[in-house]
Amino acid sequence: MMERTTLARTTSIWIIAILLLFILSVVLGIIMRLSQGGVISQSPVVFYSQMTTHGFTMIGIWFVAGMVGVNYLMQRYVSAPVKSNIFALLFTIIGVVLLWVTTFVGKFHTGWTFLYPLPFKIAWAGWATPLFFVSLTILGVGWLVWSVSLLMAIFKKYSITRALAWQHFGKNPSFETPPFILITVITLIGVITCLLAAVLLIVLFFAEYFSSGTFVNDPLLMKNLTYFFGHTIANEMLYLGLATLYELFPEVSGRPKWKTTWYVALAWNCTLVFILTAFFHHMYMDFVQPESFQIVGQVASYLASLPAAVVTVFSVLTLIYRNSIRWSLTNVLYFMGVAGWVIGGLGAVIDATITNNLVLHNTLWVPAHFHTYNAMGNVLFSLAFFNWAANRFAGIGESGGANRLKIALLLVGGTGFLLMFYLGGAYSIPRRFNIYPMEFSLAASFARIAAVFAAVYLAAVLIFFWDILRKCLKLLTYSR
Amino acid sequence: MSDKHEFILVLFLLLAALVAIVFVYVYLSSGAKSSQKEDGKGLNNTQRFWFFLLLTAALFIFASFTIPKSPYYLFEKESPSRVVFVAAQQYYWALSSEAIGPGNPGAGEAIELKRGELVEFRVTSLDVNHGFGIYDESNNLIAQTQAMPGYVNRLRWKFEKPGTYKVLCLEFCGLAHAVMRASFTVR
Repeated sequence: MMERTTLARTTSIWIIAILLLFILSVVLGIIMRLSQGGVISQSPVVFYSQMTTHGFTMIGIWFVAGMVGVNYLMQRYVSAPVKSNIFALLFTIIGVVLLWVTTFVGKFHTGWTFLYPLPFKIAWAGWATPLFFVSLTILGVGWLVWSVSLLMAIFKKYSITRALAWQHFGKNPSFETPPFILITVITLIGVITCLLAAVLLIVLFFAEYFSSGTFVNDPLLMKNLTYFFGHTIANEMLYLGLATLYELFPEVSGRPKWKTTWYVALAWNCTLVFILTAFFHHMYMDFVQPESFQIVGQVASYLASLPAAVVTVFSVLTLIYRNSIRWSLTNVLYFMGVAGWVIGGLGAVIDATITNNLVLHNTLWVPAHFHTYNAMGNVLFSLAFFNWAANRFAGIGESGGANRLKIALLLVGGTGFLLMFYLGGAYSIPRRFNIYPMEFSLAASFARIAAVFAAVYLAAVLIFFWDILRKCLKLLTYSR
Repeated sequence: MSDKHEFILVLFLLLAALVAIVFVYVYLSSGAKSSQKEDGKGLNNTQRFWFFLLLTAALFIFASFTIPKSPYYLFEKESPSRVVFVAAQQYYWALSSEAIGPGNPGAGEAIELKRGELVEFRVTSLDVNHGFGIYDESNNLIAQTQAMPGYVNRLRWKFEKPGTYKVLCLEFCGLAHAVMRASFTVR
């Protein structure tokens, strides 16, 4: 039975748009690795414009991908917002188009961290700096309205304490909060908090831009705000993916639904706190930052990984271990995604240890670990949801066969291209270098090998795209 | 690759392999006849609790062992015998034995340090954020601190090996980020 609601249609448009942007951004990534490998020659301006586009687009699309999944599945429990979803879709499209105009036409190239005061040291078209902040404002408004409306939809049915599952701390709770609702609420609170930090950051940038020199910002404060926003959103988007996993994984596997227990409630409530303080680990190498923040950073980074990861990994592994499982592409992707998330998390915890950070910070170890839990973790969570949703939209069931090639390409391509990053990090090769100095004799070879493996990963993504696109189009063209 | 980097890489690869093995093992175990209770909870609470406690304890021990070795506390009880002032600017490093200012731009000064002496680098930037990364003769990153406008980061270090050390930029600072470099000598 084909589902023909407005939410389903909007979701399918999101899925197509996200995958298209993903393919383009992976291509940019491959081009950058080819350029670093000396296979093609690019000017620094072109390289760094691409790097900026790649970073922003990837963060943006996988954040909205998580939101799309959560918004769609929410209709099982509450009346899911549709208007704010469409509003966010329009604002995201406008924001992304303007952003790509600033980077590709205006040659704006600050990297996605746009650390103050780099956006003001204009080495690009003069209009690109204000337009860049306008595009961020548009994205921020769209996403803020969307996240708030999702949260409000939940609060209409669940009181705040029930949404946070606090009744599970007492004995024999009379009411059970579904894990999906708990995780979604915890994550959305974090998302809204970091989007508000982004608003403040953008306001401060605008204030200085329009003050003609009478108002100057504090670089340390701006850096803290940047990473509070940037780190937190990059983490929360993973948890949005996890929310869909909690909802779909047992169901697709043909196992009983997970229940919220006191330790699940406690783990996720703790995560809310730790995730908002872990960003300090981005500032370890700023020795002027108060030392207490640095220590909080290391402890929170360790703890942030514990509750959510332990509870989720245990739940997933014990659900499968020696049980009869109905394997399909959806739960295989979720399963692999959890493994990728854990492995990337290990790389992250190693880097979040201050003594290690001294010799790893801003080497290729950094893209190594965040590409692991994104490309082999979060992306797979979202692909799992996309695959499940597309099947639903097309009115077909989960199929088991013909997926081995996709999975093999993803695994081989992903592992190879990530390994080159880790090796680069261990060889102290700096990140964000458009060309490698002669001293790093292996760097260009690593980049070339990575490009080949990333192309294999891309091949898998293209097959996914084709398959999902056909199913989504079936829904979108149905009425005609 | 330095010993420390090699240790980190091997540790990571072993842990990653362990995770992969566990996941593959669990995957292969599925499909067998169901042997677990169907309440959707899996492991019992006591088992989970002990595992969680063990992991937390391990991480706390690891944290209490590593945090005191953080660069902020390196040689904090000693006073440096040598101060090197560092001012970063798009796209060059100025290193000087004297404070850098309008009277002393600091560029072009050859810095020579003694083996084993305690050096304090006072690092700042005159424009955007840069990263002051020190590389040894084998191109291993041995220490770093950020160069931030308006602030001075103090990095204390003792160089044990003589040779020429390179300074590379480790924070993206614009077009010529990859070629922004300097060097100093340790005798």
